[in-house]
Amino acid sequence: MPVAREIITPQNDRLNVSRNLNLPHSPGIRAGNLIFLSGMLSTDPTTGERSPGTMAHETRQTLTNMRHMLESAGSSLERAVKINVLLYDMLEFDNMNRVYREFFPKDPPARTTCGVQLSAGMKIEIECIALAG
Amino acid sequence: MNVRTALDPRIVVPPPCRGLDMAAGYGWVQSTAIRAAGYLFVSGVVAIDPESGERLNGTVTSEAHRAFQNLKLVLESAGSSLERLAQVRAMIYDRIEYDALNRVYRQYVPNGPPARTVWSVEIMDAFKVQLDAIAVA
Repeated sequence: MPVAREIITPQNDRLNVSRNLNLPHSPGIRAGNLIFLSGMLSTDPTTGERSPGTMAHETRQTLTNMRHMLESAGSSLERAVKINVLLYDMLEFDNMNRVYREFFPKDPPARTTCGVQLSAGMKIEIECIALAG
Repeated sequence: MNVRTALDPRIVVPPPCRGLDMAAGYGWVQSTAIRAAGYLFVSGVVAIDPESGERLNGTVTSEAHRAFQNLKLVLESAGSSLERLAQVRAMIYDRIEYDALNRVYRQYVPNGPPARTVWSVEIMDAFKVQLDAIAVA
């Protein structure tokens, strides 16, 4: 039997960035027991606009939105298995790590961090694979 | 009968040796690996001394050897192996070292190598190589 593939969307429409900005990707895909989320940038959940700021701010906003995205799909941050963190500059690693820790106080997911050039001058992008519900 | 099946387990893989405990040694907020849904999701592996935890910054060649050996330790401690790798993101600090990476890389996955993407990125602590891997558990 083929594994089911379904599109995941956030309950808060403002966070459906790919639809709102007409980008050719889905917010996430559920395939079997795994959820694959698109890379997420800091977005204001009340306006849907990008929410640039300090590394601490962008990290907190992005992970808050990621929690919403996963919970919309019946999963949660506690069910995340793999996270990729993309930073605009590795000098900001500690500023990211400090806020990141608040969201994963126990048994954090596997994680890989690297420094890359991000779109629209944003400082952090986060990708996630999680177990479904 | 309960319609909902039991939650798929999410198993934290402990570091195979003290030096590879990046959470304890370096404060990185990550588990060494997570086993879930039949896969092993491994945190980015760099050239760290598996016993002392010391950074072994060197050439792409020396770092790739150490990173692969560390990845092997992690995979085998979780009952998997380099032969069971499904996807690797090999990160190097500069595209110009692509061939240097490949010379080492092919020694560790000589037959039926995993799917792979090479990214040229900035890596933590000035490392030149990082291996990001998903293996079959």
